[in-house]
Amino acid sequence: MSSGHALRVPAGRARWLRIWAVARRHAYVLRRSPHRLFDVTVWPIVDTVLFGSLGVYFARQGGPSGPAQAGAAYLLSGIVLWHVVYQAQIAVSTGFMEETWTRNLLGLMVTPLKELELVVGIAAFGLVKLVMGVGVVALAAVALYAFDVTALGLGLLPVMAVLLLGGWAIALVVVGLMLRYGNGAEALAWGIMFVVMPLGGVFYPVEALPAVARPLSELLPTTHAFAAGRALVDGGPMPWGELGLAAAGTLVGTLAALVFLARMLRLFRRRGYVTRYS
Amino acid sequence: MSDVLRARGLVKRYRRGRAVDGVDLTVRQGERVALLGPNGAGKTTTLLMCLGVVEPDAGTVEIAGHRLPKGRSAAMSNVGFAAGYLPLPERLRVGEYLRMFGQLYGLADPDGQARRGLERFGIARLAKAMGTELSSGQKTLIGIVKATLHDPELLVLDEPTASLDPDVALRVRTGLADLCQERGTAMLVTSHNMVEVERIAERVVFLSDGRVVADGPPGEVAARFGRDDLEEVFLHLAAGRQAPEHAEGARP
Repeated sequence: MSSGHALRVPAGRARWLRIWAVARRHAYVLRRSPHRLFDVTVWPIVDTVLFGSLGVYFARQGGPSGPAQAGAAYLLSGIVLWHVVYQAQIAVSTGFMEETWTRNLLGLMVTPLKELELVVGIAAFGLVKLVMGVGVVALAAVALYAFDVTALGLGLLPVMAVLLLGGWAIALVVVGLMLRYGNGAEALAWGIMFVVMPLGGVFYPVEALPAVARPLSELLPTTHAFAAGRALVDGGPMPWGELGLAAAGTLVGTLAALVFLARMLRLFRRRGYVTRYS
Repeated sequence: MSDVLRARGLVKRYRRGRAVDGVDLTVRQGERVALLGPNGAGKTTTLLMCLGVVEPDAGTVEIAGHRLPKGRSAAMSNVGFAAGYLPLPERLRVGEYLRMFGQLYGLADPDGQARRGLERFGIARLAKAMGTELSSGQKTLIGIVKATLHDPELLVLDEPTASLDPDVALRVRTGLADLCQERGTAMLVTSHNMVEVERIAERVVFLSDGRVVADGPPGEVAARFGRDDLEEVFLHLAAGRQAPEHAEGARP
């Protein structure tokens, strides 16, 4: 196992040690880059205030009727769940970008670190950021609008799990595009979320969209996950059909994203694109 | 002596032509080899293919018995790489940076290895410094400590002393020579400093237009070209090149 005289850990442990090393490196980055905290503190609060206030305004316009009040709850639960997708995606995308910005990619590529271990390490620390970001939204919703997302119950957990995987799948596509097109594709990390947000049924059902956009919206797994979330807001049972559709779609999407990433990585190596970052 | 690196028939074509055209390269255990050639000769592309970072269009690479690309991870645990042009990641202290790479190499005691590495090159005081606080020479030294952290079988150094003053460059050469002698580490180095190459390398491989044009001990290679030293061989090859079809380091 060891070459030379340096003592090595067993191969099975070495894999986890590499993942730990990547996660820890990104913890240092967050700790020493206060501006990175914007994604997990400021934007979540801004989003909560924006959508919470919209909800409150329309609820007041609509009077005390049930649908008007439910609208505010849809918006607030939607923004909490949206931040699961957003934080998962942004953490992995910006984690990869960090390696390109600091020209660390070549250095990492000539270590035993495997590509998947790099992604897992970044995503693992991303979970910490996700807990921070979603926690801030949830707390702001309670503090500012007396909306307690935990009141939706444990049914929220599978919905969040599907959205988490969905966020990671989007991130894999973004990383693949960055491998192919370089830092020019960075804007997609944020831009792609502005496409998913309106089409992904975050705040409203598919029927609220223009007819032309509905088929595309139906295809997005997030649409079904958010629909399941709204059913919980309505106090109904978990709509397992919607959640199943969301889970199946997300699994298929994640597999497709992995295949895409593998192809882009192959192209990256074949065309020597690493010279962009060294 | 067994081969630590064995590359056969490496070919790499970019849009502007062949960057590497059928290169064979062998580095044996404990051997110190310099890969030389003018800009655009194909040195960096060859190195990157040997490291599994760039996929060759043809040819094979084997490191410490592991065939690339399948055995890349296992192969890289036997390789240390440093390049004068690679910066230290920002927002990390030197000690944190070395610990991270030590863990990537699967070291049981990354902090201890880092401390010994820093002491070897006389820079133990830098352990707590931030990467952004270091001079370019200090960064290069830290890069070399990182590359030698895990006592690799093969050390690959791309322009390692490019930004160092003569005093620090001497310290680097001495440290590397000691390491190679003590641990039997093989070294593959590129440099434009021919005087340094003559001091470090026991064998030189000259590339020109992506092909190996000479391979042997420095004195023999110089004599084969009818020159007094490697500097003259280098100038001869550089002058003899046609307008470059591809610039090394340029984006393919």
